[in-house]
Amino acid sequence: MKFQIERDAFQNALNQVQHVVASRSPLPILSNVLIEASEGGLELSTTDLDVTVSKIVAANVVQPGAITLPARRLAGIVRELPASDVEFDVSADSVATLQSGASIFKILGLPPFDFPHVGEFRNPREFTIDQKLLRDALRKTSYAISTDETRYVLNGVNCVIRDGMLTLVATDGRRLAMVEQDLEFPAGQEVSVIIPTKAVNELQRQLDIKGDVKVVISDNQASFDLNGSVLVTKLIEGNYPNFRQVIPGPANYRVIVEREVLLGTLRRMNLLVDESTNSVNFIFDNNQLTICTTSPEIGEAEETIDIRYTGPRMVMAFNPEFVIAPLRNLDQDEVYIDLIDTSSPGVIKIDEPFLYVMMPMRATR
Amino acid sequence: MDGGRKILHIDMDCFYAAIEIREHPELAGLPVAVGGSSGRGVLTTCNYEARKYGCRSAMPTFKALRLCPKLILLPVRFDLYRQESARVREIFLRYTQCIEPVSLDEAYLDISSLQSEASAVAWLIREQIRTETGLTASAGIAPNKFLAKIASDWNKPDGQFEIRSGEEVDFLTELEVKKINGVGKRTAERLREVGIRTCGDLRKWSEIDLARCFGKFGLELYQLCRGIDLSPVQPNRERKSFSSERTFRTDLVTLEEGLDELDDIVIELAEDLAASRHCDREISACSVKIKFDDFRSTTAQRSGSQIDPEMMRELLAEAWIRGEGRSVRLLGASVHFRTKRGVPEQLEMF
Repeated sequence: MKFQIERDAFQNALNQVQHVVASRSPLPILSNVLIEASEGGLELSTTDLDVTVSKIVAANVVQPGAITLPARRLAGIVRELPASDVEFDVSADSVATLQSGASIFKILGLPPFDFPHVGEFRNPREFTIDQKLLRDALRKTSYAISTDETRYVLNGVNCVIRDGMLTLVATDGRRLAMVEQDLEFPAGQEVSVIIPTKAVNELQRQLDIKGDVKVVISDNQASFDLNGSVLVTKLIEGNYPNFRQVIPGPANYRVIVEREVLLGTLRRMNLLVDESTNSVNFIFDNNQLTICTTSPEIGEAEETIDIRYTGPRMVMAFNPEFVIAPLRNLDQDEVYIDLIDTSSPGVIKIDEPFLYVMMPMRATR
Repeated sequence: MDGGRKILHIDMDCFYAAIEIREHPELAGLPVAVGGSSGRGVLTTCNYEARKYGCRSAMPTFKALRLCPKLILLPVRFDLYRQESARVREIFLRYTQCIEPVSLDEAYLDISSLQSEASAVAWLIREQIRTETGLTASAGIAPNKFLAKIASDWNKPDGQFEIRSGEEVDFLTELEVKKINGVGKRTAERLREVGIRTCGDLRKWSEIDLARCFGKFGLELYQLCRGIDLSPVQPNRERKSFSSERTFRTDLVTLEEGLDELDDIVIELAEDLAASRHCDREISACSVKIKFDDFRSTTAQRSGSQIDPEMMRELLAEAWIRGEGRSVRLLGASVHFRTKRGVPEQLEMF
C-alpha cells in the first residue's frame, strides 16, 4: 500500500473521525483508525463498536491496500509534519512509513482484518433531509437527553416518522424537548428509533449548514451519509415512553419574554443556587417576572424583568438549569412560556414547531 | 496500608429497648421489646433478657411472642430515640467532626487526627455516654470501618475491642465469612458450597476466581478477608432509596415464581427498612427491578407513601412482560424517600 496526500486534507479527515476513538479501550484495534487506499482515494474509519465514522479523502494512490494505525498518535504526527505533502508507505508486516520533508516516521500498526465491520442493514428504510434542519433539530433537543444510565431508553434522541412528519424528542423525565418537521416518507411506513447520545453528539459535529443527509434506518442500526463522511450507529433497543401524554393540554396563561434577557437573569441567579436544592422561584405578576433564590448557607439573589403577562400572580419553582438549557439553544428573540397552574408543567414555545416541557419543583412540607 | 487510620465503630446496646427501660425502671431485668404489635409487625429491637428466649430484631412480633410469651412489647417512640441519638452525637462531636451515622444507634468515627490512644478515646466516649444518658455502648477500634464493625461486636454489650494494625490477618483467619457485612444467608450458603467458611479459607482463593464466582463482590471479598477496607468515613450521607434484591441460582421462568419470591423480598425490605436509620423517612415511591437472563434490567415504579405488597406485585407484573418471555435472574424491590423537609422536590413526568 502506497499513497501521497496533502497534509492539511489528511489532518482534517483524521480530526473528523478521531472523536469516536475511546482513549482507553479493552481492544487495542479500537484505538486505531482503519485506512483503506483504493483508486477512488482514501477511506478512514474509526469505531467504538456502537458508533462507526468513515470519511473519504482524495489522495494519489500508487498501490491500494489497508492498515490500521493508532488514531490519536497518527493525528498528532500529521499535525506536526514539516512539509505540506505526506508520502505513505506500508510494508507487509503492518509498519507504516510516513515521509514529509526531511522527517521520517515509522509507526507500528495492526492488520486491517481484525477491524470490526458494520453489520448489514436488515429491513432498511431511507429518507433524505436537509443537513441544517437536522442539525438545528438536534441542537434544540439533545440537551434534554438523560444521563442516568439506569434509564437506558432515555439515553438518546427518539426519532419518530409518521404521517409525513419527523419528530425528535429527548427527555430525562423532568423536562422534555421536542421538534417536529415535515418530511417526505413513503406513506403507511412508520419509524420509531432511539439514537444514542454518542451518535447524536457525533452527528452534531459532522452536520453542515448546507447540503442533504441521506438517512438509512434498519431495525437495529442507522446510517447518516453526508458530505463524503458516513456515520453508522447502533440504535438503543427498547420502548421510548409515550411522551405525548406528558405534553400538557391547552394553557391558561401565556408569558411572552425576551429570550436573552431571561437567560442573562437566570445565569446570574444560578450563581447563588444551592446544589442540593437546585431551585429558583419564578414570580409572574402584572407584566413582571421576579426570579429569586435563597440558600441558607450561601445567600440570596433577586432580579425583576419586564414580560408580557396579565394573568394572576403565580409563584413557581424550577431548576434553573432546566430553563437555561433551551434558552441557550434557541435563536428567537422572543419565547413564550405557557402555564396552566403552579403545580402543572410549564411549556416553552416559539413560533416554530418546537416545545419544551419542564416540570416544576414542589416545596415539601 | 490504611495510612494509619484510627476508626471507631460505636454501637449502642439494644438502644431503643435500653431507652424504654431507662424511662420505665420497673421493667429492668424483664424481657422487653420495641416494635409493631399489628399482624405484620416486627420487633425493632429487644433487650438481652428477650434475646435469651431467641427473640431478635426484625423478627415478626407474633413469632417473638411465641418464643417468649412474657415479652413486654412497647410501641416505637422514634422522637424520643432521635433525641437520645442526638445527645450521643453531641458527645462524638467533642472528639471529631468526621462522623458517619449508620442508624440512630450506630456510627463510625474517624479519629485519626487525635494524638490520644484510640482505645482510650473509645473508653472516654462510652463513659460519657453512660454518665450523660444512662445508656451503654460498645466500641470497636481498628484501622478501618470493616474491622471496627466486627470489633464492636466482640465484647458486646458494654465492652470494647481493638484490632491493631498488623494484627488484621491473624484476627480474621478464624472469623466466619458470614460476619462480613454484605455476606447474607445466600452468599454464605454459596461460599460454604465451595468450601469457604472462614476468612482464612477465603484467602486461599485468587482474586480472579473470586470474581468469576461472586462477581464484583468477589473482588471486595478478596480485600476484606485480608483486612483491607479503604472506604472512608463519610459524614452527611443522604440516602435516596432503600432496596432489597435477590439473585437466583436458577433463573425464574414464570411470573408466579416471580411473585412468590417478590413477596419474600418485600417482607425483607420492610424489615430491613424498619431496622435502619431510615425507618422514619417519608416514602415517595416504590419500585420493582428485574434483571433478565441477557443481563438487561428494567424497573417499574409508582408513587406511594408506604410499602404496599399488592402494588409491588402489580409493578412486577408490569415489568415482567418487558422481558418478552426471557427468564429472570434477579429481582429487587425498593422504596424511594422524599427529599429532606423544606427542600423543594423536582417533580417527574414518568
